[in-house]
Amino acid sequence: MTSAPPIIIAASAVDAFVEQFGLAWGKFLAQVIIFLIVYTVLKKYAFGPILGMLEQRRQRIADGESKLEKIAKDLADAEKNAQALIDKANSEADRLVKDAGESAKSLAERKSQEAVHEAAQIMARAREAAQLEHEQLLSQLKREFGRMVSDATSRVTGKVLNADDQNRINQEAAAQVSL
Amino acid sequence: MLNLLTPTVSMQPLIAVSSSAAELVQKIPFLSFITNSAVVALVVLGLIFWFSSKATRNMTLVPHKAQNFFEFIVEFLYGQVEGIIGAKQTKLAFPLLGTLFIYILVANWFGLLPGVGTIGWGPGTGVMSISEAHNPLLRPPTADLNATLGLAVSAFIVWFYLTIKELGVWGFIVHTFGPKGGLKGAMGFIVALVFLFVGVIEIVSILFRPVTLSIRLFGNIFAGENVLHAMGGLGGDSILLQTALQLPFYFMELLVGLLQAIVFTLLCSVYIQLSTTHDDHGDEHGAH
Repeated sequence: MTSAPPIIIAASAVDAFVEQFGLAWGKFLAQVIIFLIVYTVLKKYAFGPILGMLEQRRQRIADGESKLEKIAKDLADAEKNAQALIDKANSEADRLVKDAGESAKSLAERKSQEAVHEAAQIMARAREAAQLEHEQLLSQLKREFGRMVSDATSRVTGKVLNADDQNRINQEAAAQVSL
Repeated sequence: MLNLLTPTVSMQPLIAVSSSAAELVQKIPFLSFITNSAVVALVVLGLIFWFSSKATRNMTLVPHKAQNFFEFIVEFLYGQVEGIIGAKQTKLAFPLLGTLFIYILVANWFGLLPGVGTIGWGPGTGVMSISEAHNPLLRPPTADLNATLGLAVSAFIVWFYLTIKELGVWGFIVHTFGPKGGLKGAMGFIVALVFLFVGVIEIVSILFRPVTLSIRLFGNIFAGENVLHAMGGLGGDSILLQTALQLPFYFMELLVGLLQAIVFTLLCSVYIQLSTTHDDHGDEHGAH
């Protein structure tokens, strides 16, 4: 008994397989065509727009992120600038306060010195006036004393004193008083 | 004869799910391609078209509900695919891979709708009643080997296009058969022979990819249909018992439907990644 060659057995097995599972070119091509239509529909009307939208959204988010970073950087710069301005204003204010203090101190010292000087001048003027008055009084006293001495002398001696005598007696009396 | 497959139909477990798609127009041979799975494929096409147009109509930066849902799916898929095949290939391959995932997922889950696979023609047992739906009116495309083979062949053609575009014909030959490791002399000759043999195996493996991809998907969904029919049949006349027996398997089939969509898509991604990756290390060693 001869058996069929392997290739014939394989071919008949394939035929049986095709028969059992209903494989046919027409059915196969119909399914491929339907799948290709699904592919075309999805590619054109779904994947393209969806992927485009996803890319657009991704781009938008990336732009937003970069803008956010820029805003944060600008904010940091602005805060830094504001801090620098505040520091500068503070130092300027400190300097002004210090200058004002020094100026006030200098003014007060100057005014004090002026007051002292003024007081000294007043004192000097008062002293001069007192001295002058003292001298005037002394002079008047001397004159009065000389007159009284002359008068007493003339009364004691009973002699009428001439002008020279009177002058001499006055000067001697004044000399005695000044001692 | 249409059948709503009422519990009174049969006392036997309904395990006789046909392994091939039923031709709906049997009298005209030219229209034999109009099968129950082709009808469901068209319905799936309509559903996808309806939802995608709804999701992408009046798109705004702040998305509406449908747009948000579709964006979530697309973004998730794009990220997964990009993680495997890289940004450059993703731009070219994503439309196909994304379509594969969505189409397979919708088709798988459509098959779980009540009536799909159970309303149709079969041995009559009364008015509007049959014992089994030998020729169901509706059948998920992924339970038809023609459809899964079509998907796999489409993916294979795109894989081939991307590979040749990236590597060129000579680059593909070198990539497949070329010795790696940079060995010279007699050892290099032996290694080259080994890699030549490995390349032949690789070519066989590549040629079988559409077969494995399609049969894996078909087998899982077809088996799921059978399991659901069998569980329903075990319930006998009691609708409650039928439902109770089927319910856990419905959840399992929901998961299987999702997993098979993921597996099919990710395997296609991996195939693209494997063949479009340049042998940089081998070249560096060879240059030395």
